[in-house]
Amino acid sequence: MHRELIQLDINGERRELAVPPQKVLLDVLREDLGLTGSKRGCDDSSCGACAVLADGVPILACVAIASCYQETRIITVEGLAVAGEPTPIQTAYGEAGGSQCGFCTPGFMIAIHALLQHNPNPSDEEIRETLSSNLCRCTGYMQIYESVRLAMRRMEARSAQPAAVR
Amino acid sequence: MSLPAMRVVRPRTVEDAVRVLAAHGPEAMILAGGTDVVPNLQMRLFAPRVLLDIKGIGSLRGVVRQPDETIRVGALTTLTQLLATESLRLRYPVISSAVRSIAGPLQRNMGTLGGNLCLETRCRWYNQSDFWRKSLGGCLKKEGTICHVAPGGDRCWAVWSGDCAPALLTLDAEIEIAGPNGNRRLALSSFYRNDGINRIALGGDELLAAVVLPPRTAGWRGVYHKLRIRNSIDYPLAGVAVVMNVDEQGVCRDARVALGAVNPAPVLVKQAADWLIGKKYSPELVERLVHAAIQTGKPLTTSASSPVYRREMLRVFTRRALEEMWGMRPRTPNGND
Amino acid sequence: MSAYSIIGRPLPMTDSPAKVSGLGRYADDISVPGMLVGKILHSPVPHARIKKIDSSKAEGLPEVKAVATGRDAQRPYGILPIGHDENALATDKVRYIGDNVAAVAATTEEAAERALELIEVEYEPLTAWFDPLEAMKAEEDWIHEGRPHNIEKEYHHEFGNLEEGFSQAAFVQEERFYAAEVNHAAMEPHSTLAIWQPDARLTVYSSTQVPYYLHRTISDVLEMPMSEVRVIKPMVGGGFGGKSEVIPLEIIAPILAKKAKRPVKITYTREEVFYAHRGRPITLVDLKVGLTREGKISAVAARVVQDGGAYCGYGPVTVLYSGALLGAIYDIRNLKFDGYRVLTNKPACGAMRGHGTVNVRFAFESMLDMLAAAAALDPAEVRRRNLLQAPCVTVNGLRVTSYGLPECIEKVVERSGWLEKKGKLPYGRGIGIACSHYVSGAANPIIRSNMPHTTVNMKIDRDAGVTIFTGASEIGQGSDTMQVQIAAEVLGVRPERIKLVAADTDLTPVDLGSYSSRVTFMAGNACLEAAKNMRAQIFEAVAKKFGCIPDELESRDDAVFYRYKPAQRIAFDEAVRCAIDFHGTLVARGTYAPPDESRGGQHKGAGVGPSPSYSYAAQTAEVSVDPETGEVTIHRVVAAHDCGKALNPVTVDGQVIGSVYMGLGQAMQEEMLWHEGRLMNPSLLEYRIPTTLETPQIDSIIVESEDPEGPFGAKEAGEGSLAAAIPAVANAISDAVGVRITSLPLTPEKILEAIREKQKQDREKNAATRSEKRGAR
Repeated sequence: MHRELIQLDINGERRELAVPPQKVLLDVLREDLGLTGSKRGCDDSSCGACAVLADGVPILACVAIASCYQETRIITVEGLAVAGEPTPIQTAYGEAGGSQCGFCTPGFMIAIHALLQHNPNPSDEEIRETLSSNLCRCTGYMQIYESVRLAMRRMEARSAQPAAVR
Repeated sequence: MSLPAMRVVRPRTVEDAVRVLAAHGPEAMILAGGTDVVPNLQMRLFAPRVLLDIKGIGSLRGVVRQPDETIRVGALTTLTQLLATESLRLRYPVISSAVRSIAGPLQRNMGTLGGNLCLETRCRWYNQSDFWRKSLGGCLKKEGTICHVAPGGDRCWAVWSGDCAPALLTLDAEIEIAGPNGNRRLALSSFYRNDGINRIALGGDELLAAVVLPPRTAGWRGVYHKLRIRNSIDYPLAGVAVVMNVDEQGVCRDARVALGAVNPAPVLVKQAADWLIGKKYSPELVERLVHAAIQTGKPLTTSASSPVYRREMLRVFTRRALEEMWGMRPRTPNGND
Repeated sequence: MSAYSIIGRPLPMTDSPAKVSGLGRYADDISVPGMLVGKILHSPVPHARIKKIDSSKAEGLPEVKAVATGRDAQRPYGILPIGHDENALATDKVRYIGDNVAAVAATTEEAAERALELIEVEYEPLTAWFDPLEAMKAEEDWIHEGRPHNIEKEYHHEFGNLEEGFSQAAFVQEERFYAAEVNHAAMEPHSTLAIWQPDARLTVYSSTQVPYYLHRTISDVLEMPMSEVRVIKPMVGGGFGGKSEVIPLEIIAPILAKKAKRPVKITYTREEVFYAHRGRPITLVDLKVGLTREGKISAVAARVVQDGGAYCGYGPVTVLYSGALLGAIYDIRNLKFDGYRVLTNKPACGAMRGHGTVNVRFAFESMLDMLAAAAALDPAEVRRRNLLQAPCVTVNGLRVTSYGLPECIEKVVERSGWLEKKGKLPYGRGIGIACSHYVSGAANPIIRSNMPHTTVNMKIDRDAGVTIFTGASEIGQGSDTMQVQIAAEVLGVRPERIKLVAADTDLTPVDLGSYSSRVTFMAGNACLEAAKNMRAQIFEAVAKKFGCIPDELESRDDAVFYRYKPAQRIAFDEAVRCAIDFHGTLVARGTYAPPDESRGGQHKGAGVGPSPSYSYAAQTAEVSVDPETGEVTIHRVVAAHDCGKALNPVTVDGQVIGSVYMGLGQAMQEEMLWHEGRLMNPSLLEYRIPTTLETPQIDSIIVESEDPEGPFGAKEAGEGSLAAAIPAVANAISDAVGVRITSLPLTPEKILEAIREKQKQDREKNAATRSEKRGAR
C-alpha cells in the first residue's frame, strides 16, 4: 500500500511516520502511535468517543484525515495530564461517578477540558449542550454533570488561593 | 473500516485547487470538515482518486463586510464559528437558529458552511455500508436500477438534508463559485437541482468559495424549526425556515418561507412574499401559507419518520414560525437572547 | 458513625485512573507483534442453503494468512445446553442477513477487506420468515430442522384458579401491547484478540461478560482441552447483556489464529454489532388482568410471543423470565402464562438489561393504570393495595426475602409531589408512576452442576498487600470496586492495600459471569467469605500474641486490636507477619451457591425466575406533551431502588440512573427498523440512543431493605430500575393528554395520532350528548 511520510504534533511531541495518506487520525493514533485512549465507538462520526483537541478545539478524530492535520497541535486524552498530574476533571470524574465502563470517557475528557478552558464557570445548560454530541450508554449523564461541577468548584477554589493545595 | 486508497492534495490557493479539479475531473473530491465526506468514503459511496483538502486555503475563511454592504462568509467558516460571529447572529437570526440545530457541537467544530451547502443527499436505502447496499442490490442512485422509495420511477428522491440552505434561501443569499475562469456569483436558489443524484449546480472544476448575504434581508426576524428525533447529532427529517420584515404596526413588509429535508432540494415556498407583503396577521392567511408549504414539500419514505408525520410537521412548523414572526407566539430561543 | 468503615462509602472505582487517563486497555487497544487483522464475510441473504464456497482466490493473496469457513469448526454451540444451534461460520445454511459465512486473516485491514470480496459463495434461497406470527404458521423451510413451525420453545403455566380469580374481579381489562426490538448499543464494539502460542496453547483477550462460558465454548468448538485455552477479559466498554453469551467473533478469531498460527484480532464495526445483536426481542403481550372493587389484583393471564431471531441464544430463558417475573412484585394468587419463543430470519435476540421482564412490565404497569382509572383509584394506591407480605414464597415458587417496594413507592410519591400533581396538572402536562423488580442472580446455573456459582481466592504475603483473585467480570458496573470494598471492610485495611486480579482463566477461579445482576450478591458473598477466612488466620496469630481468643479481636484502619482495650493493637503489616510466621503465605477461599430454598418450584421451566433475592424499584416521570406535534418532553424522573444495602452509594446511584436512562431510550426513541429481514438503521446515527438533550433530570433514591442473605445486606442494583421507566412515562403521557399508547417506542407520531383520534371521539361524544339532551327536552 502506498504510504507517505507525515509529521504530526501530538501531545507536544513531533512525530514523523509513514502512513497511507487517506488514513484517519484516529487509526494513526491507535495503530501507528500506540495512543489507544481515543476510541472508535461508531463508524459515522456520531458518538464522540474519538474526540481530540486540534489547536484547542475538540474534533472527531475518526473523520479527520491525519495527513491534513500536520499543521495542527493535537492533544489526545493521554496528553491532558500535566507532568503526570491529572486535571481537575480527571480526578473529579472518579469521585462523582462520571465513568462506568469508561469507553466514552476519553471523548468526554476532551470535550469537558475544552469547555472549562474556554469557560471556567459554565451553566448547567451550557454543560448539557456542550456534551450533547458525546454519547454515554452507562451513566445517564447525571454523574458526568456532577463531575464537571465538582471540578469547577475545585478549580475556582484553587484559583482563589494560588498558593493552596496543588 | 479503512478508506479507499487515494491521493490527498492540499492546495494553498483557490487557483491551485481549481487546477487540480480540472486535471482530475470527476475523480477528484473536495474535502473540508470531513463530517459528511469521510463516513461516506468509508461506506464506499464514492471512490475518488484524489481527495482535495481545501482547509489550507486562507482566502476561503473569514466573515467580511464588503463595500457594497453585503457580507461575505467564506465557505470554510466552521459552523461553530458561524454561531460565534456576533454580526451574523444579530443581523441574520435565522442563520444561527438553523446552524445551532446542526448535528452536535463536535460535528459543528469541524463541519463548514460550504460543506453544509454541498452535503450529499440522504436516503435510508443509500447511506448504508458497502455490504448493506450490495446485499440489497443497490439503488437507483448507486450500483442499481431501482429506486426503493418510488419503485418504477426513474428519479432519485434522496433528500436534501442540510439545515443552512433553507435558512440562507430565505435571506436571498448568493454564492460565490470559483472556477477556471475566476469567480461567478449565483443565487443560492439556482444552486440546487431537486435531483437526488445530481444535486447541485457545481461544475467538476469548480468549488464553492463563499456565501454572500445581501443587506436587504439584514435585520429581518427569522427562525428555523427542525424535525428530528434527538435534539443533537441527528440530520433533519423536515425543516422550515421563515423570515419576515415586520413594521411597527405589525404589517409584513417582506417575508420568505423555505423548506428542507422533505425534497431532493431545499425549496422556497414561492407564494410567501406575494401573499404576505402588506398584510397583518390573520389565522386565515397563515393557514393559506401553511397550505402552500405542504403543497411544496413532498416527503417520501426516505427516512425513519413517516411521510405523513413529516408533512404534518411542515404544517405545524410553518404556522408556528409565522405566528412567531408576527409576535403572536413567544419566540423560540435561539441563543441570541 | 457507621458501623462500617469502607462499606457504604463512595469509593471511586478502582479502575477510574486508567479510564480518565486513556491508559486502560480494552480488547481492541491490545496489539501484539505479528498480529493479523481478521474480517468476516456476512450473508447478504436472509435464508439460504450454501451450495458452494470458493475461497481459493482469497487464499492466493500474499497478505492473506488464513481463510476459514464452516468446515473449520463444525461443532455447534450455544449458551444454553438445550440450544446448541449455532456455528460461528455457517456449515450448511445462512439464517439472516449478516450471518457469518467465512473469515480471513491478513496482514492489513485493507487486504482482509479485499480478500473478502474474492470469496465466491453460491446460495440457494429458502423462504424467509420475518414476522413471528407468520413464522409460527410455516409449514416448510423451517429455520432449524428440529424446530417445527419455527417455535424454539413454548411454555404454559397456570397457578391458582384463574376462572375463580376473574369471577371475583369488578374490572377486567384486556389489551395487546407491542414492544419494538432494541439493542444494547454498548459504546465499545465487540473485539477479540486470539493469540496462538508457540506451545500450541491459545490465549484469548475478549470483550466478554462471561469469560467462563467463552472458555468452555472455545475449548468445545476448537476441540482443545480447556487447560490449553486461556481467556482474559480486559477492560470492557459496557455489556448490558450484549456480551453475555459467546459472540461469533470470539470463536472466529481463535479459528483463524489456530489456522494461521499467528495472533488474530477481530473488532466489529458498529454495523456488525447490530448483526451479532442478542438484544431485546420484538414482543407481543396479550394481557388480561382482573381487579376487585377493593383494588386487589384477582387474576392475571398473559400470552407472550417473542420474535427471537435466527438462533436460540438465551431465548427460552428470556421468555420464561417474562412469565416468572409477573410474580414476586405484587401479591398475585391466580396467574396464567403462555409464552412462545419464535425463530425468524433476523439476528438472534438474547439477554438485555432487565432480561425478559421489561416489555411485560411495560404492559402490566400500563394496565394497572388503566384498571386504577376504571376503579377510580389513585395509581400509587392500587400498587400499595397489592403489595406482598414478605418474607414469602409466591404462587409460582419465587422466594422473597426482603421487600423494599413499599418504601420505594412512598419515597417517589413524596419526592415527586405526586399528590399535588397526579390528575391535577394542566392539559399537556402529566405525571405517571410504575414499579419494577429484578433478580439478584439466577438461583439455578445455566449449566446444571454442583459447582459453586463463584469462588474468590485471596492471598497475603510479606508485603501485607492483599490480592484478590476473582473470576467476576468488571464491565463498568463496579464489580472490582465492590470486592475491594468488602475485603477492605472485613480485613480492616485501606482499600489501597488491596490489589485485584480478575477474570483471567489461568489465574482466577470460576465465576459464571456478569449477567442477571448476580455479581454483588454472589461474588460479593464469596469475597466476604474469603476475607473472613483470611481474617480468621490473622486473628488466630494475633490472638496468640495478645493472649486472647480470636473472637476478642477487631480490625479497622489498618490495625488489629483487642476489642475491649483498643489501645492494645498492632499494625496490619505486623499482624500479617505474625500470621505468616505460623503459616507461610496466607491464602483463603470463599465460595457462593444459592441456598436450596431459593431454587424454585418443580414445573417445567421453573428453573428460570428464582433468585436468592429480588431488588425493587418505583418511579415517577413528569412529562409535557405538545398536542400539536405529539412530542414529549420528560422533565424529571424520580427513581427509588431497593438495593438491600448500598455498598457504594455513588455506584448504586450510577446503576439506577443508567438503568432509567436506558429505559427512557427504549420508551421514547430506540427501535431496530426492519425491512424484509434487513436492518434499516445499523448505526449510532440512525439507532438513536439518547443524548444529553433528551435525557431528563433523573433523581435516584436508595432504599435499603437489608437482605438477610446478601453481603452486608446488599442485592441487585444494575437492572431492576430499567423496566419501571417505560410505563412510568407511558402513564405520564396518559395523564397529560388522556391517550394510552400500547406500542413502544412512544413516538410523537403515535401520540399525535392517538390525540387526534381522541379529539374525534370526544367531538362525536359531545355531539351525541348534545343531541341526547335535545331529545330529552
